[in-house]
Amino acid sequence: MDFDAYDLDPAIYDEAFLPDGAPRGHYRALHAAMREATPERFAAIKERINRSFAHESISFTLQEGDEAQERIIPVDCVPRILAATEWRELEAGLSQRLAALNRFLSDIYSGGRIVADGVIPADMVRGCPHYRLAMRGVEVPRGVYAAICGSDIVRTKHGYQVLEDNLRTPSGVAYMVANRKAVKAGLRRLYRRCRVREVEHYGRLLLETLTELAPHGRPDPTIVVLTPGVYNAAFYEHMFLANEIGAALVEGRDLLVNDGAVYMRSTAGLRRVDVIYRRVDDDFLDPLEFRPDSLLGVPGLMHAYKLGNVAIANAPGSGVADDKSVYAYVPDMIRYYLGEEPLLANVETYLCRRPRDLEYTLDNLANLVVKRVGESGGYGMLIGPGATPAERAEYANAVRANPADFVSQPVLALSRSPCFIDGKPAPRHVDLRPFVLQGGQTRMVPGAFCRVALREGSLVVNSSQGGGGKDVWVLADAPGEEP
Amino acid sequence: MLARSAEGLYWVGRHLERAEHLCRLLWLQVEALVDRPVEEIHFGWRRIYRSLRRAPPGGREEFGGGDDYTLADSYTLADDLTFEPTNPDSLWSCFASGRENARQTRHCISGEMWTSLNLAWLRIGALDIKQIWGASPETFYAETAREIDAFCGVAEATMYRDEGWRFMRLGRCIERALLTVALLRAQLDAAAEEEDEAEWTSLLRAYHALEAYHRQHGLAIASGAVLDLLVTDALLPRSLRRSLKAAAAELAAIGPGPGIRASAEATRLAEKLCALAEYEWHQRERVAAAQAREATLLRELEGHSRRLHELTTLTYFEYGIEDAPLH
Repeated sequence: MDFDAYDLDPAIYDEAFLPDGAPRGHYRALHAAMREATPERFAAIKERINRSFAHESISFTLQEGDEAQERIIPVDCVPRILAATEWRELEAGLSQRLAALNRFLSDIYSGGRIVADGVIPADMVRGCPHYRLAMRGVEVPRGVYAAICGSDIVRTKHGYQVLEDNLRTPSGVAYMVANRKAVKAGLRRLYRRCRVREVEHYGRLLLETLTELAPHGRPDPTIVVLTPGVYNAAFYEHMFLANEIGAALVEGRDLLVNDGAVYMRSTAGLRRVDVIYRRVDDDFLDPLEFRPDSLLGVPGLMHAYKLGNVAIANAPGSGVADDKSVYAYVPDMIRYYLGEEPLLANVETYLCRRPRDLEYTLDNLANLVVKRVGESGGYGMLIGPGATPAERAEYANAVRANPADFVSQPVLALSRSPCFIDGKPAPRHVDLRPFVLQGGQTRMVPGAFCRVALREGSLVVNSSQGGGGKDVWVLADAPGEEP
Repeated sequence: MLARSAEGLYWVGRHLERAEHLCRLLWLQVEALVDRPVEEIHFGWRRIYRSLRRAPPGGREEFGGGDDYTLADSYTLADDLTFEPTNPDSLWSCFASGRENARQTRHCISGEMWTSLNLAWLRIGALDIKQIWGASPETFYAETAREIDAFCGVAEATMYRDEGWRFMRLGRCIERALLTVALLRAQLDAAAEEEDEAEWTSLLRAYHALEAYHRQHGLAIASGAVLDLLVTDALLPRSLRRSLKAAAAELAAIGPGPGIRASAEATRLAEKLCALAEYEWHQRERVAAAQAREATLLRELEGHSRRLHELTTLTYFEYGIEDAPLH
């Protein structure tokens, strides 16, 4: 295969190529392998990978009207490669960020020092829809609110930037592992030659993390994964994680609270539960505390939690820290709590709650991405350049009506990475979601779920909106290289 | 293990056993369409529908005379029993339910089991009656039965022998017993007064038992001996006796459950069922109206088997939490 038709846009960072068209150092082996290979070989590899996903039904669930459909995320067979140094930068930056976010959560649910010191507006914290009054004064194990974090990282010509943090129920890690398994089997020789670091031990790290959070340091705790059920988009992942850590996969109806402790209905009777890795939203945890109309929750769960008899990861109320407005203050949090400069930059963000930002947003709608603070998954946002004038006008009205619900950011020229499309290599926009675990220590597997906008020119990488996945190869240090 | 997961696995066993049972009956039935007399074909359909306690589409059990009718009707009936999604007993529905239960308990079974089941599902889900009828319906049913057998073989070879395994086996055994009793009752019900060898031969073939029968009883087919074999044989894999003994053994291996009263009753009932299929069945020859006794015994076996299912549910899955032990 040749790269003659590969489009190198000088305005966009290409993960694999320098502006002059030469492959970057860590892409050289892949580049050579692709040049040597015929398109037929890559087509066969791609077909095999996607067939194996279908055979194993590695899927996400998409609600279409009344019907829930199992969909397979299309996988591109060309891996995205990160050099050891690039990974170190991300690893340090993300660890720093999660440390600050946990300090922030701990602070706002105890004294609220950061608010008192005027670093972040009080109403932004208390008025955040994810702020939980019930969490005030609750002591969480090891002070860890967010034990599992999946931040979305993008790269532009200015380097890596954090686009958003996901602290509630970040998903994608199962696809990281599945993509690795499939792509590794397709590109065996290249994989071996590249000295790629493993990601398959994510389950072990997760188990260690959750074990460290067990109440009263109980050894060998009973851990469960709490899922909303089979209709949830990420059900496959919930099942995968339960299997990886040897936990029961429970729904709210399988749990009950008795005498301040949580139990699950087992075939041998009621079994005490120590740690809940929950993949349901706060609202559906405990109807007594959060949403009385919820059928999914466990009545009394928060009571048991406050007594310290069960750990919940991530802690209820963690969502304040991944709110799209609060996001703008994360660099300040890092300086405030850790006394350090942020290692990873934020994307410039305009908070429409500020009159000047609102004005700027409305004046520049055609060049901005506007997001609703409460939404995720790519829903409820406006991509200015791609919208019609009518769509922009309608959206502007919504922004004017409730400015505090919106933030805007410049349209980022997301980096592109070579993919195998229609029989030849072609660049597509990508993002990156690495996962950070925080228990007694910080843990990360060197890898990430890479989402790719498979449609030419598209910037939307969400799986629910036509995005695909890519395996991410983090390379080991070359011998002799500075560790 | 989590009660709901155990229940899911129990139903994987039940649904797939049901799917396989139907496959075998339909296989015989489409084979009969090629060369058997019309009466025998009609008998076959009647037997299937009665055993499922379902009315054929259109509601009639009497089929039009003549070959053309028989073939046209058979197409409709086969569709109803194979692909009809609103028929909970259709092959498609049983397979879909079995696969859905497996999907929800995927973390409790081996990856190989899941892939083997999912592959079969992808194949079946892409077909319809027109396609299989146009090619070779025998091959379709044979392949599907083989895929379910393969799933069981993969399970045998790869699944950890924990409670999940036992519940899946228990579901299979209880379903097998229920299906066998229902089929035998339908056979007695639909069979001609004059004993017809073909009707009983096809029953044996549905259980892969024709050769075993010939070895034990010679070439002449007699209804009493056929029933004996299918009910009491110790070596026939699908005999009622073996199914019930296997169910009792799985229950014993799982041990008493948190639904204490149901648990005790289940143990007693499982033993009683084994005794019925093993000893009391043979005793029937001593009474004057042996045939009436057969019908009574089968009814009893069916009622008790159903109760065993209910007790299993009450013992392990839907027990009251008031008396349940805390661990």
